[in-house]
Amino acid sequence: MKTILLIAADGVRALIHQRLLVGLMLASLAVTVAFSVFLSNARTHASVSLSGDRVASGAPQSNEPMSESDQRRLREQTQGMSSMFQAAFYVVTSFGGSMVALFIFSTAVAAEIRSGTIRLTLSKPVSRTQFLLGKYLGGAAIMVAYALIASLAIFVFSKSQGLDLSPAIKWAPWLMFCQQLMLGSLALLLSLFVHPIIACVLAFFAGNGFYSPPNPLYFILPSYSDFGMFSEVLQGAQVDWKDVVFLSLYAFDFVAIMLLLSMWRFRTKELL
Amino acid sequence: MSAIRIENLSKIYRAAWGRRDTFAVKALSLEVKQGEVFGLLGPNGAGKTSTIHLLLNLIRPTTGAAFLFDRPVTETEVHRRLGYLPESVNLHTYYKGRALLNFYAALCGVPVSQRESRISAVLKLLELEDAADKQVAKYSKGMAQRIGVAQALLHDPDLLILDEPTASLDPVARHQFRGLLLELKGRGKTILISSHILSEVEAVCHRVAILESGALKRVGTLQELSAGGSTRLVVKETSGTLMEALAATAAEVTWFQGQVTIRCQDETVRRSVEALLREHKVEIARVESEAQSLDEIFFSTIKGDPAT
Repeated sequence: MKTILLIAADGVRALIHQRLLVGLMLASLAVTVAFSVFLSNARTHASVSLSGDRVASGAPQSNEPMSESDQRRLREQTQGMSSMFQAAFYVVTSFGGSMVALFIFSTAVAAEIRSGTIRLTLSKPVSRTQFLLGKYLGGAAIMVAYALIASLAIFVFSKSQGLDLSPAIKWAPWLMFCQQLMLGSLALLLSLFVHPIIACVLAFFAGNGFYSPPNPLYFILPSYSDFGMFSEVLQGAQVDWKDVVFLSLYAFDFVAIMLLLSMWRFRTKELL
Repeated sequence: MSAIRIENLSKIYRAAWGRRDTFAVKALSLEVKQGEVFGLLGPNGAGKTSTIHLLLNLIRPTTGAAFLFDRPVTETEVHRRLGYLPESVNLHTYYKGRALLNFYAALCGVPVSQRESRISAVLKLLELEDAADKQVAKYSKGMAQRIGVAQALLHDPDLLILDEPTASLDPVARHQFRGLLLELKGRGKTILISSHILSEVEAVCHRVAILESGALKRVGTLQELSAGGSTRLVVKETSGTLMEALAATAAEVTWFQGQVTIRCQDETVRRSVEALLREHKVEIARVESEAQSLDEIFFSTIKGDPAT
């Protein structure tokens, strides 16, 4: 276990020195900030437009309290904006996270093979299984950090805008993380057969969104779409914790199978 | 117990679409004893690096098996006794020198309490103390090579596998490295060294193996390999008919101050010359063996010419 942790720590160190990865994360953050600014402006515009409506309808402009219907309208509009803001935030961070995961896991082992650094590492008492698991763990640690930053950001932005958190948003980062682990494990496996870029494309489009039961491909291909929380966040719907547990188990089962297949492939791979 | 044992090892790279397969290593059998410094020689493509990769379990043999300290190379634990320097040293450039060595020391299981002293010792040995806190990405080729040697020595391994260790070193560093190899040899370390620099191998190796096109051509000590080389037969009495008879053989005959020296390039020539001398009842005053240099042994083995 100590060896796996050492390889994982080295993996994290390697990843935080990757300019492309840092660029992807910064781009994802920048898009998120841009969305929040846009939605904040839209919300202000909605309030102003509501005030304008009130003036047009002859309502007094003084400090008199709003009527109950105006208050309800403003609340509905604000809640709608809040859900839209959170859903948009979720989509951006989820997509950005998927890109980061694809990059991290598809290059984790392949880049070491290409650069030749793997030869020195494997000349030490490190088995190929330990190396592979360490690399996966290092990538997963980066994805944990990403999910935590995303959760914190969505909380801070929502609170700063005075918005209520959608009930589904509390599960969204976790499910996003599970989905990215699945995506990453498939990208890692494929990168042991093909070029990392091809592995990324195949892993991204391998989801079973095109198939439905009883098509056997539905049961073989990963179900990324089931982890998507966009509509739940947008509609402010509740998410059953049992569904979250089921999806988590499915994700870990899928990751375990992908890792086993990766180990099988990696054990016999020629490291030229 | 042997440090390295290779039994009938072959590595074939299968080619697709009807192209010819590549034989990287052909039925190679070798044994390197503990405490021995063993040189692996051969031209480019001879199979030296493939053999080393097979020993490190980086590639899988097509047939045969390899053992380190009598344990299969597939056992990871045997790598605790192994230090390896690759042909081109590719390092994790995001580390500083000291941190990189710390990472490798941790992987080798060097206890935390000893790590700092071991790292300082190898940095001093390889004169890298000033570069220890510098980013590896900023290292020159020679410095990277030296840090590569440092990581191989870090855990004081019993066996060192060095693939072209001096390829990127300048003459001064090369000389220092030779001194280091002799020191390690004196300490009883087993060293497998693959090199193109024959003088270096000649200076440090107990035995050498010469590979060509993946196959083992010759193996042995320098004395063993040079046996069967040129021989000089010195005779003091001679006659015109003997001189004429000798001139008809492939031997080189020189006459100086009444003494005739007959240089026989190989055993066949020597046997025919000895028969002639017996026929003319001429006694051989002295037999001198010409020791071949490793260069001569190498080029005669691979049937190449230094000029080509």
